[in-house]
Amino acid sequence: MKLTKSFNRSLWVFHLNTGSCNGCEIEIVATVTPRYDPERFGMKLVGSPKHADVLLVTGPVTKKMAPRVRRVYEQVPDPKLVMCIGTCGQSGGVFYDSYNLDGPIDQVLPVDVYVPGCPPRPEAIIFGVVKALEKLERLEAAQ
Amino acid sequence: MDLTAPVLTGYGVWNPLAWLIAFIAAAIIVYLIWKTGESSYKRGTEQGRPYLSGNAEPDKGAVHIRASNLYWGYLQALKPYYDTIVPVHTGVLTDYMVWFVAVTALLLLIIGGLP
Repeated sequence: MKLTKSFNRSLWVFHLNTGSCNGCEIEIVATVTPRYDPERFGMKLVGSPKHADVLLVTGPVTKKMAPRVRRVYEQVPDPKLVMCIGTCGQSGGVFYDSYNLDGPIDQVLPVDVYVPGCPPRPEAIIFGVVKALEKLERLEAAQ
Repeated sequence: MDLTAPVLTGYGVWNPLAWLIAFIAAAIIVYLIWKTGESSYKRGTEQGRPYLSGNAEPDKGAVHIRASNLYWGYLQALKPYYDTIVPVHTGVLTDYMVWFVAVTALLLLIIGGLP
């Protein structure tokens, strides 16, 4: 994975719902409001995976969504990070024994950062982004 | 004739040198923008296909608007004509011969008049 200078300065994020109850979505939207204002660090939500550096995945990955999740992941240009937001993506959460899951997310995609919570608060999501930046710095140092 | 000299057309000025300089400046700007692109972009993979909410890209023929859609209104306006004329075209040669003989006889009657 080749890292460019601009990559770790302004992460553009694409959000993908893989079957979430929308609790995490509400918190993600709260995170990008002026109260927390992550855009001052150059981070913002984008409308296409082709413009994104980070894939923000919520939900436990239903069977119907699994191929779409893989396709969207492939459409994100390299280098890229995957952040799993919420408990559902980590373990299936309340849907853990559902017949209709291909997840959790790490069964489908390589995940870089996990943000636990049902749903996680905006502070936790921002902390997850900080962890992602730390990982990028480690990768850069290793190059 | 000096090819680099400005030409006054009566409606404006044509200056080849100014155009050349503008073209070179535009080319440099285009090159600089192109240079900032991500070189690790992978051609021929999903990165080159359109984003359709994660759905697979349908065949081009399945999503393109057919050419007949362009003259749909024309066909719709002439629908009574086509409703009549299309069944007449049976593809049977003897039918066409009957039409030919009948129309010729009709024309002869019109042109020549009734005996």
